Amino acid sequence: MTALIAVLLLLAAGVWFGATVDAVAEAAVAGRPVRTALAAPFRRTALMLSRQAIETEHPDTLNHLLAPACYLVLAAAGLSVVPFAPGVAVTDIATGLVLWGACEALVVVVVFLNGWSANAPLPLIGGYRYVAIGLPAMLISMFVLIGTALPAQSLGVSAVVESQRVLINAVRQPLGLPLFLLLGLSITLRGPFNYGDSADLVGGTQAEVAGVQRLLWRGAKLAMLTAFSAMAATVFLGGYLGPVLPGPAWLVLKTALVMLMLVAITHLVARVPPARMLTWLWTVLLPLSFVDLVWAGLEAMR
Amino acid sequence: MAMTALARMAARAPVPVFVATGQGWLASCRNLAASVDVAVVTNIREAAILIVAGEPRDEDRDALRRLHDQMPHPRATAWWGARPFAEAGSAIEVSATDDPGPLLRSAFAALLARVRESEPDWLPDDPPNPWQGEGDHGQGGKGMMGGTPYGRPMAMTADDLRDGLALDSFTFTIGPFYPSLPPGLALELTLQGDVIQSARVVRPPLDPGEDAAGACRSMTVGRMLRLLELDALARRCEAVPVEDRDAVNGLKRWIGASCAMRAIPKGLGRLAGDDARARFTRMVAALGDAEASSIAGPGGRLVDLLPGLEWNEALLVINSFSHRDLVALAPREMEQEEDSEGSAEQREGHGI
Repeated sequence: MTALIAVLLLLAAGVWFGATVDAVAEAAVAGRPVRTALAAPFRRTALMLSRQAIETEHPDTLNHLLAPACYLVLAAAGLSVVPFAPGVAVTDIATGLVLWGACEALVVVVVFLNGWSANAPLPLIGGYRYVAIGLPAMLISMFVLIGTALPAQSLGVSAVVESQRVLINAVRQPLGLPLFLLLGLSITLRGPFNYGDSADLVGGTQAEVAGVQRLLWRGAKLAMLTAFSAMAATVFLGGYLGPVLPGPAWLVLKTALVMLMLVAITHLVARVPPARMLTWLWTVLLPLSFVDLVWAGLEAMR
Repeated sequence: MAMTALARMAARAPVPVFVATGQGWLASCRNLAASVDVAVVTNIREAAILIVAGEPRDEDRDALRRLHDQMPHPRATAWWGARPFAEAGSAIEVSATDDPGPLLRSAFAALLARVRESEPDWLPDDPPNPWQGEGDHGQGGKGMMGGTPYGRPMAMTADDLRDGLALDSFTFTIGPFYPSLPPGLALELTLQGDVIQSARVVRPPLDPGEDAAGACRSMTVGRMLRLLELDALARRCEAVPVEDRDAVNGLKRWIGASCAMRAIPKGLGRLAGDDARARFTRMVAALGDAEASSIAGPGGRLVDLLPGLEWNEALLVINSFSHRDLVALAPREMEQEEDSEGSAEQREGHGI
């Protein structure tokens, strides 16, 4: 029960924190007043709640409602495998990394359904495009996560944390965290990996959405950002491990650090066209993830 | 009626506006980007107020009506230096010389407080094509394929340019208010998936006029940055005071550091020896330079560059040209338009 409360609190706090730093970073880069950006998430939320929800012509209503709900559930399920302290996790199973991987993969389905359900061209293109880019990005993540399991000799997330008592995986496997961050950008539809909700498609899977529906999708994306950041902090930065402060405080601090990195990349790094990214994914990034796996294996055998 | 706490909170947000630009109004629209009262949005679904800036061209009026009807309630329209349509009702009118910001803010608060009534649709809620009773089964088509079932043109199979597979192709019109295109430009595109099979100019871009070159350059670079998923940097670009050297140089450093130029593939949209990356690089370098003229004045046709390109690549190619060059590259295609005006108008019913 303690872990469940911790998961819900971390998700709620993460959504607020993510929305705030996003607004502040956006204002700073856009040259707008940063002070007013602090209140921006609340004002935007109120604005979206005050607007009409749009119904397109003959939408797939069931999937239209299910997509944001499932996205939110996947974020919560993914976060449930993250331990807040030794033995304190909602889903403390020996195959936690596999469960997280399943959540990642299902994000592809959810984003596609979101694009499909509007019954309109631009959201549909956004959905298909996301599938094309999202699938190889998932493969990279799988290899990188297996790399973190090797020194732990377990697929359990708690074991992966404990294996970092001497040296965190971000140092032990230097390619791992950067590659994993790319996956984070992809499953949260952000910046250089935003191929589903992108501006050239006027918001892609979100092009025909307004009001509460827009708010739900945005909230779900921020929840996934929180879950991903907590996972990255756990498998690469030692999670709850750290001196002086209690374990949960270390996890929150490291999660916030990863979120800040992702938000900064979102607003500062350009995105390449999809065909070029697809080439890079298969010919550069995927081979790099093999190298990371071999590196992790050799290091684990020492 | 008293405002609820929710409406009060919402009314403190910048007014989300979508700008429909009319003839001779490009430079003024740029000033809106710098306003703290409004947030210019690129999706009509996010807007609460549609700003009609300058008189729309006669041929853009129906598209403007469709655009209006896609805006969620509560909504209003501000006519900035333009005469309201007869159906516009209690219109917000702003004279050409006034700053619309304060008026928009008070109208926005009145909308949220339900003091001001939300505008009804300007068009009847009918399918864009007559279809009922046509076809073997009254579905609007011919047999199982073709036609316009339920008022919508059906996707038909055609050879794919990439691998020759016969897949569904889909024809529709984007513009003249599509945010990733220069104001006024409307293209009829046939897509297979996200690859453009053919393109036709339905309407040319608005003529920028002699004194709007600097503003157009900022807006074009802003659109390119947005296509590269750098929305915040695009806002900085659209609002930067071009006479402030430090601000412009700072913006150029931000753009360089974002890898925006290198994100555009080499060789994309090559015309007269220049590709999209080279054109964009020169356009960024010319930011803040009032004397910089239109780059090359390349000959050729825009629509010949687009077939075979993926959606994002095509938009990058289009926006890599200066606004003035695009006016020359994308002239109105008179003969074809007369042949197929009807079908093009009908397809616009998708409201993109």
